[in-house]
Amino acid sequence: MSNTRPEVIARESWVDADKGTVDRRIFSDQAIYQQELKRIFARGWNFICHETQLPESGCFFLSYIGEDQVIAVRDRQGEVQVLLNSCPHRGNTVCRSDQGKTRSFFCSYHGWNFDLDGKLVAVPGYESYYREKLDKEQLGLQKANRVESYKGFVFASLDDDAPDLETYLGWVGKVGIDLIAERGDMEVIDGIQKNRIQCNWKLAVDNLYDWYHPKVSHGSAVRAGMIDEEGLRYMNQMVMLGEYGHGISGADIGEENLAQLKQVVAAGGDIQGPAQGQVWRTTDKAEEAMGPVGVRSGGHPNIFPNLWVSAAGPPQLCLRIPRGPFETELWWFTFAEKNQTVEERRAAVMVANHVFGPSGLLEQDDGENWSHSTRGSVGAVTGERPINFSMGLGQDKMTHDASGQSYIDTVVNEHAQLWLYRSWQEWMKAESWPDLVKNHSAPPTGDV
Amino acid sequence: MEEFAQMDVKARMLLHFEVEQFLYHEAQILDERRFDEWLNLLTEDIHYWMPIRRTTTLAQVDSEFTKIGAMALFDDDINFLRMRVAKMSAGNAWSEDPPSRTRHFVNNIQVVGIEGDDIQIKANIHLYRTRLESVEDSWIGRREDVLRRDGDSFKLARRYIFLEQTTILSQNLSNIF
Repeated sequence: MSNTRPEVIARESWVDADKGTVDRRIFSDQAIYQQELKRIFARGWNFICHETQLPESGCFFLSYIGEDQVIAVRDRQGEVQVLLNSCPHRGNTVCRSDQGKTRSFFCSYHGWNFDLDGKLVAVPGYESYYREKLDKEQLGLQKANRVESYKGFVFASLDDDAPDLETYLGWVGKVGIDLIAERGDMEVIDGIQKNRIQCNWKLAVDNLYDWYHPKVSHGSAVRAGMIDEEGLRYMNQMVMLGEYGHGISGADIGEENLAQLKQVVAAGGDIQGPAQGQVWRTTDKAEEAMGPVGVRSGGHPNIFPNLWVSAAGPPQLCLRIPRGPFETELWWFTFAEKNQTVEERRAAVMVANHVFGPSGLLEQDDGENWSHSTRGSVGAVTGERPINFSMGLGQDKMTHDASGQSYIDTVVNEHAQLWLYRSWQEWMKAESWPDLVKNHSAPPTGDV
Repeated sequence: MEEFAQMDVKARMLLHFEVEQFLYHEAQILDERRFDEWLNLLTEDIHYWMPIRRTTTLAQVDSEFTKIGAMALFDDDINFLRMRVAKMSAGNAWSEDPPSRTRHFVNNIQVVGIEGDDIQIKANIHLYRTRLESVEDSWIGRREDVLRRDGDSFKLARRYIFLEQTTILSQNLSNIF
């Protein structure tokens, strides 16, 4: 186990944005990992759950901010609280169910009992043993002071200096969530698929931008007839880069295609096949929320640090939760419109169950690659060889739309991956939120 | 169940023996990666399903498994199972090439009901897998199968698999249970 010092972590050479290379040791170094938990996960806004998972007071869902386990719970006032799942007395967990409904959180060690907002309401022996010398006000479950919902998607930060959620998301992050939220009145379908992959979390994240790998990594799903090879050809790619490391990379629906679809919808035409799944984009509401560029995005967003919005098929979110430098937990949340028919819901669930998740025909093969890339960061000599993200670097340019939205109009590329690692380094170097706000890079303009 | 209970002991023993032999044969062809033969053991209307399991309190334990129609870990019909097998044999299915080494153990086999040609079975399953140098997975659970009479043997008409894991502690589920 290496023991990198913070000043070493802060040096600039882990990510070379000019060459498009990344030092592999960021995938294996224990000290870097510990610093990520503090400077990225505890500092950033983390997706916790969707509000429909907490329909009533007392409903809770166990989630994570890095390796800090948190309880998301709807309190008696109907507000969502995010509480550290750790009793201030001995540190024991006060909630051991993945989800459910409760009246309070009871510590199974000595019986301290906490209300739904985390307040300590009962201490056995308060009079007889503590002789009333215990400051109960100070001994509630620690709360994330920053909990905000964007269109029903609940995020929390454990850093009081974090900017508000919408500022953090910026237009790119908001378009990312809107790719699900703007489809209608959405809810989470019961059942979060969870599994563990022996890889560093960042390799799982950078893969979601990667439109170079499907033909090879998922070639067997193509041969089996699960995905259409035509769909993997050199499609028009559209890359959007957002402040603080957010990004969207993937297909461009296309201005003309969208205009055409709009006309058919306006004329009351019958829309069949995959285009049905795009009709929501033709509403004024969607265009107003997402902008003329954002509404065209058929790509994969990542809300920094680790929330993939998978919206090309049935709308899903996938968290890449760190479990040490060599392990990552994948959590799949699947969404559907509340007013769907039983048949529509069944069809969406069948697709969602068969593409991703541990048995999904696409995802089965991803873990093999990510775990072996992670392993390739360990050897004394192998680990010193940088890995490469230079595809398209220096060959593209930003298109600046009159709306203020900018994007790279290009072919398959690695711009978003490199932006992810470049932003990651800025987060790791920053001492605090004010430092990060002052010193982070704005997304590039002009040539990229 | 009543039908089975009313059978005389020799008939019950014979049925139990036939069921066991079928399940052992199936386990063997899976471990020998004879997946096309395995597909021939399935009925056209098979439902192959593994729900997601969650940790809940004892009071809420009725909700620990997702229901049919919600999200699952497997939710396959015959066409999708054919696709899984086609994928494994494609020559570029990296999660199964080099192949997993698997061993299926089927035990505690019980005939729990008979309805016409359909025989309802409960059994415990242990699927052990190793891959490459050091990947090792061990999945234990309960299977609820329906076997349908087919000449002097059976076909598998339903398989529900209830694993003992909640979070799947493996990087994929690329094998057949």
